[in-house]
Amino acid sequence: MNNLTKNIIRFFVFVLLQTLIFNQLEIGYGFHLMVHPLFIMLLPFEMGVISLMGLAFLLGIIIDIFSNTYGLHASSLVMMAYFRPILFKFYGPREGYDPLKEPNVFDMGNRWFTYVFGILLLIHHFWYFLVEIFQFNQFLFILQKTIFSAVPSFLICLLLQSFLIKKSKAK
Amino acid sequence: MRNLIAFLRRFQIFLVFAALQVISLMIYVQFLSFPRSQYLTTASNVTGKILTWENDITKHFNLSKNNYALQRENIRLRERLPEFMYTLSAGKVKVQDTVFQQQYTYIPGTVINSTVTRRNNYFTLNIGSKQGVKPNMGVFSDKGVVGIVHNTSEHYCVVKTVLTKDINIDVIIEPIHLSGILKWNGRDPRRGSIDGISNDLRIKKWSRVVTRGGSGIFPRGIPVGKVEKIESIEGEPLWNVVLRYSEDYRTLQRVYVVKNLLIEEQKELEGLIPPDKEEDLLR
Repeated sequence: MNNLTKNIIRFFVFVLLQTLIFNQLEIGYGFHLMVHPLFIMLLPFEMGVISLMGLAFLLGIIIDIFSNTYGLHASSLVMMAYFRPILFKFYGPREGYDPLKEPNVFDMGNRWFTYVFGILLLIHHFWYFLVEIFQFNQFLFILQKTIFSAVPSFLICLLLQSFLIKKSKAK
Repeated sequence: MRNLIAFLRRFQIFLVFAALQVISLMIYVQFLSFPRSQYLTTASNVTGKILTWENDITKHFNLSKNNYALQRENIRLRERLPEFMYTLSAGKVKVQDTVFQQQYTYIPGTVINSTVTRRNNYFTLNIGSKQGVKPNMGVFSDKGVVGIVHNTSEHYCVVKTVLTKDINIDVIIEPIHLSGILKWNGRDPRRGSIDGISNDLRIKKWSRVVTRGGSGIFPRGIPVGKVEKIESIEGEPLWNVVLRYSEDYRTLQRVYVVKNLLIEEQKELEGLIPPDKEEDLLR
């Protein structure tokens, strides 16, 4: 299975996972699980920023259609896609990334993944809740929602990788 | 010209980023107040179909609770049937009813997709313009008010629920008929608040809150909830009235859409009021 078909299948898997399962889990207290940022994270290293943002916009709009948020997910995913290469450059090894590797937790190690994906997820969630609530006197509530949603989303993304990536390697 | 191209090339990443942000935020702001089309919402055919399949599985989770609620409503309605009442005076004369004319009819529907924890929560119903649903119709359930229809397609409609930022349904607090406006602060799906009640008025705890029916969207007297807490707002002569919704929106399934048969007449009459020129100047 080559890279393109793998990512196309992944795209649909993430759309269905997010809209049919994680959108329906409503715990309250500001927990809002979002796993679709992982798709943007797992795209190959050598992908350009502009195509990355285009894909992020497409994925965001499709998830928006399913959850009646009208462009909110698209905006926050584009924001995340914009920061991805910047963070990759900042945390990257000196000799550059190995093109055969993928930016997941198994190829790149726990430490690297936690830093890069953690920061990206925080940016994504913060922007999402900032635009959604859009009241600066509720800033503490925005922060609470960001932390309460980003931490469980990160853990679930770690778990999801062991489901999605190990299998695709075995084939 | 060459400078311009050089500039565009240099900042192309940022420009694409800004353009995509502007597009998505523009769609967001536009659709929040007035949706132009059904294609970016769950009212569209593809998403509606997929969410119907999903609902076919998940609807069973709250089945017994919903059945119980419907059974109680049936009992309430059956109690009003003439066959179930004891006739006190035999041989009543039946008259053709010219005093009452039907104003509201109801369209039954099922919630196929719902959220309750976002800042703005929308429900998708499995009824649409084919059943006569139009935007700005009221939606309620057997226990309380649900929201206002936001957008419709042929087979589905999206309802802006009372769990949204600017729902602004006019309500009254029952025994003394104080009218206010329903708001939601985005935190707790079980509690809302009422705006615009002056703090020289006394409100009893646990008094009933019902719809006022002023704008013709809801009939008068559909329950909303009960007053739970009355707080004073610092620096304003108003009460912050916290109410507890009578409906649990987290497990809601069966709803009714209100169709006001006389809404055109009311709108036409209210349209005759000349616009206030001073108000326009202030804007």
